[in-house]
Amino acid sequence: MKKIIIKLLLIFIICFEAFGSLEKARQLYNDPKVERKNEKITYELIMGDYYFSAIPFAIKHIASTQKINPEFEKALKALVVKAGPEIFFDVSTEVLVKHDSPTLYFVLGLRYFHEKNYALAIKYLEKVPDNNYLQPEVRLTKGAAYSLLGNSDAGYTEYKKCYNYAESAVSSSANDKIKRYYAILKETCSIHVARLKFTSQEYDKSIEAYDEIDKTSYKWPYVLLEKAWVKFKQKDYNRTLGLLVTYKYPLLESYFMPESELLTALSYHKLCLWEDALSVVDQYYKIYKPRSEALASVLIKNKTSDNYFFYLTHESTQMLEAKHPFIKSLITQIKKTVKYNVEYGAYKIAMKEATLLKKMNRDDFIRVLIEETDTQINSKIKSLNWYIKEYMYEFINKINGLSFQLFKIRIDIMSKKRDLIYKGTQLISDRGRGDLKHVNRTVDEQFWEFTGEFWADELGDYSFGLKSNCEEVKQRTFEDVKQEILEEEKSQKKKDDDSSKGVKND
Amino acid sequence: MTKTIVTIFLFTLFTTSFHAFAENKKEKVIVEYKKYERFDLGNLEIQGSVIAPGDVSVKERERKVLETDFYEKKDYFPDIRRDVLNLK
Repeated sequence: MKKIIIKLLLIFIICFEAFGSLEKARQLYNDPKVERKNEKITYELIMGDYYFSAIPFAIKHIASTQKINPEFEKALKALVVKAGPEIFFDVSTEVLVKHDSPTLYFVLGLRYFHEKNYALAIKYLEKVPDNNYLQPEVRLTKGAAYSLLGNSDAGYTEYKKCYNYAESAVSSSANDKIKRYYAILKETCSIHVARLKFTSQEYDKSIEAYDEIDKTSYKWPYVLLEKAWVKFKQKDYNRTLGLLVTYKYPLLESYFMPESELLTALSYHKLCLWEDALSVVDQYYKIYKPRSEALASVLIKNKTSDNYFFYLTHESTQMLEAKHPFIKSLITQIKKTVKYNVEYGAYKIAMKEATLLKKMNRDDFIRVLIEETDTQINSKIKSLNWYIKEYMYEFINKINGLSFQLFKIRIDIMSKKRDLIYKGTQLISDRGRGDLKHVNRTVDEQFWEFTGEFWADELGDYSFGLKSNCEEVKQRTFEDVKQEILEEEKSQKKKDDDSSKGVKND
Repeated sequence: MTKTIVTIFLFTLFTTSFHAFAENKKEKVIVEYKKYERFDLGNLEIQGSVIAPGDVSVKERERKVLETDFYEKKDYFPDIRRDVLNLK
């Protein structure tokens, strides 16, 4: 009971303070004599948790003043954390550059990264001091910029720093959501290192970096496919197939990746297990054709809408299931992404602000704030709508692109089968099956036998034990059969002769 | 002149009629083939150069090599870029 009373009191105090701050901001707005009006209103609104309402006042202050003070830098930090750095993307470069502000340098760096001007992105990101709260994001962005410029060594250095900064941010954060955010950032840096090692064909080091990702991580299911590609490049097709079979685990149902089907078919193809490869190809067409059609129908009907896809994520599971079970699973996949969660979190903050403002007496000041929050809400809806639509378009394009790749595998198998007939040969066996001796293991790699059941601790450590079926043997011809019969007759005759000699001797 | 022409005509007529008579008088030739003949196939020889192929053959034509450049992951640059764009 006491706890409830304390909580209610706290809520009341917070609400009172928020209302108080809004009232102060209103007074400042209506007072024509106040100096540094926009700066002061920004502080008051942020104090009252009206982040989206504070944006236009903060921008006006950045544009009008020659130098921003440390207190305003803190206000900028709050705005970037709650509303995202893109709120300042429309501010001109001249305005952003004139202040020695780490937050605004980060905004500039990120904006140049969006524009693919990686050299300028690095230039501005380097101005952010080492003790700044944005260091994990800055180092990740710099690492990516260096990688995309082809400077892998500088990329590794940045990713290493990103990992360390993110790790210390995890341990210093009190909030669980923030902890999770920095943990994902830390893992992203490890994954980027693994990807660069993969590109430079240092496959063992790539696997080492991927192994940094814990099985409980949000990123882990995505890493399985990337690890499978490394194993494929190392020609360990059994481990590749073992990693990919993890996606059949019922709880990973929403992590369906068409590329994993292609990699499975390629691995069987490399092992010359053609019937298995062809069955994967057939299965792919059977599963993904109706999915592609269902997705295409949703996309074509609503491609011009600015909010359809955003509201699709709000529909109930039953409603989504009725559209198509695949649409439901794809929406689940999208809702698990960092981008969706961060943007949706910002949208909810803006909505909360708008709801509170709309309950108040509407004078000029409140009208300005309502207008601003509505603009920000619409912008967030459009941004998320675009993100979901793009995700779906990319998915459907991938399904179609991979379908062509699988068709090429089918044609190649048909061609190879014909070659065998022409040469009068055949593969050593039609279906080579598994054996432990075909399983490759490193010292720190686990091995579990798959007996039709998935166990959480075994996930990601499976390996097939298939023998390569690529050896060719000569096919028996009519002449071979004739020769065999003659030899058999000869040996029979010899036996008969020997036995008759034996009888005579007796 | 007229006498000469008549002489030539009569000579020609006489010659052709004689030939026709002689042909009618030719004897009928009856050819008798051996009723049994043994061929030693192993001993048979063909003289001259053999130009016909020994058995059925098809001239080999150039095989069409199918495109086998299957998709393989080479780098993750688009994914690296997307990770930063979707950061916040």
